[in-house]
Amino acid sequence: MQSNRLGCLTGTGIIAVLITTFVIAGYAYASGGLMFNPGPLSAKSGEILGGVTSHSEIGRDCKACHSALWDSEKMADRCAVCHTVIASEMQSVASMHGKLTHDNPNLSCRHCHPEHRGADAQLTVMEDALFPHEAVGYSLNGHQRTAANKSFTCDDCHHGDISTFAPDSCQACHSEMDLSFTQAHLLAFGADCRACHDGVDRYGDDFNHNRFAFQLMGKHINVICTQCHLDARTIIDLQSAPQDCLACHRADEPHEGRFGSDCAACHTTDGWKPARFDHNLSIFKLEGKHREVACESCHQNGGYKGTPLDCYSCHQKDDDHSGQYGTDCSACHEPTDWDKVTFDHNKSNFPLNGAHVSLACERCHSTGQFIGLSTACASCHGDPAYHAGLFGFDCAQCHTTNNWSARFNGSHPGIADEGGSGVNHGGGTCRDCHTQTLHTATCVACHDSNNPNGEGGGEGGGGD
Amino acid sequence: MLRGNRELWLALLAMILITGLYGLVVFLTRMIPPASELFGHSIGIIGFIFMLTTETLYSLRKRSRSVRWGRMSTWLQLHIFTGLVGPYMVLLHTSWKFNGIAGATTLLTVIIVVSGFIGRYIFTRIPRTMDGLEIEDTLSQETIKQARRLMALWHTIHIPIGMALFISAFVHIGAALYYATFLK
Repeated sequence: MQSNRLGCLTGTGIIAVLITTFVIAGYAYASGGLMFNPGPLSAKSGEILGGVTSHSEIGRDCKACHSALWDSEKMADRCAVCHTVIASEMQSVASMHGKLTHDNPNLSCRHCHPEHRGADAQLTVMEDALFPHEAVGYSLNGHQRTAANKSFTCDDCHHGDISTFAPDSCQACHSEMDLSFTQAHLLAFGADCRACHDGVDRYGDDFNHNRFAFQLMGKHINVICTQCHLDARTIIDLQSAPQDCLACHRADEPHEGRFGSDCAACHTTDGWKPARFDHNLSIFKLEGKHREVACESCHQNGGYKGTPLDCYSCHQKDDDHSGQYGTDCSACHEPTDWDKVTFDHNKSNFPLNGAHVSLACERCHSTGQFIGLSTACASCHGDPAYHAGLFGFDCAQCHTTNNWSARFNGSHPGIADEGGSGVNHGGGTCRDCHTQTLHTATCVACHDSNNPNGEGGGEGGGGD
Repeated sequence: MLRGNRELWLALLAMILITGLYGLVVFLTRMIPPASELFGHSIGIIGFIFMLTTETLYSLRKRSRSVRWGRMSTWLQLHIFTGLVGPYMVLLHTSWKFNGIAGATTLLTVIIVVSGFIGRYIFTRIPRTMDGLEIEDTLSQETIKQARRLMALWHTIHIPIGMALFISAFVHIGAALYYATFLK
């Protein structure tokens, strides 16, 4: 045995080489490559693709999936022969497979879908950093680290089967994190977390309701979600929560709809009171003392709309005029003060002029009667004895309101029309002749009784 | 002389170290290192290189007459060391799956290691010099003859098994290159 040959190249060694080669070649030929099979192919049945329902059915045909080194075809091309839907999906970046291969050009099917790992082995295995999880409708933004500050593994959420996700998968972890909240949340919104949560938004501690159209302010901040989002089970339900006040506050509404449905016109979220109703926007502006009056003084029995606008509805009891001036107090009075009266007597049927202007009201309205008082002069003015009942009661025939001085334009029978005196004989006043009464007259006041043609002893009697 | 067990202890130490490393990888990745990934693949390649090169180098040294480089006993110690550590690494490379040609190769590897153990104990029964030359010693000629016959018989078994193992391993490697490494 002492030779220069390699020790292994003995006779038996060479024979062993030949036998082994023959056995392997024979077995390879007979088994169709099964001997190179590193492990059973998946036997999981799916839909019928390429005439089979699982990879295990083509387990003996290596070439079905494995292209030769010298082929231009890649293994992924062999996948696409059967998986035509996925192959077309990969053309669209919007799809999960498309985005995955677009972002990772060197990625092939087998990198996520390894085979030969057993009949029951998972056919999808991914490095989570690689997988565009948002492309399947759920971002992992909010699931970077577990509550224990560890990296998430697929199995943390997909228990066993990465291609499925049980809706209640969230509960176990989130119950551990905060049992009472999770239970309350499940009761309020149901167990299908993904109906609302897409992983992109950060609910939980970072949730900010004020990013939405209905911002929470004042007392709304502390309201529990379900008071507004009743029986919400999906994100659509949440987003379609009514935003008008009455949808939630109908039971709180004491106005019986008289103010409409926009509570915010008067109320703020800080509380129902104080309400900041601007009464001046209504047809009844509050002025003067009306501003200080309690609402209930006018709005009795909780009524607001339809409250009568006329003064008398409230102020009948205040009417010192016993209704004589009608019901429109504002014709004379201002809301600032009852005593501040702006009555224009001249608009009445007895305009005040002359000496009447400066009279105190009581001089005429002595009995407190205002309406219907006689406008006849005689109702105030008596006929003086001096008139001797000669002129009746129409004072205005001779007098004006400026003074009692009168001009009688009638004829003076028996009085010679001398000296152009006419009625006003000598140009004097009535009393020059009628010194006692108007139906008696004397000449001697002017004329000397002894000299009828001479002037009297008075100022006119210069002729004496 | 190959009377001590130094190479066995060293092999055991190396295997413990490798086991520790393996355990660390299992702990970190929380799975059995697959044959196709970095660690599993590496121990397979290194293990096979150990098996291959020590076999060929030992044989070359053994057959070489012109170059007497290193003592034969040292070479045998190295052969035994790598013949244990290499197969152990290859065993870990299997990821405990024994399908097809790879499984057959593993089986042959186990057989060759067992065979090597047997051979080692036959071999040590024959007195030798430090260079591995046999010494006509105190043992009875009959005992030595018997040992030599046994050694020759063992050779005719150990070497074909080794050859079968290598053929099987090459096919496995070729298939792995074809179906996995150069997979497009």
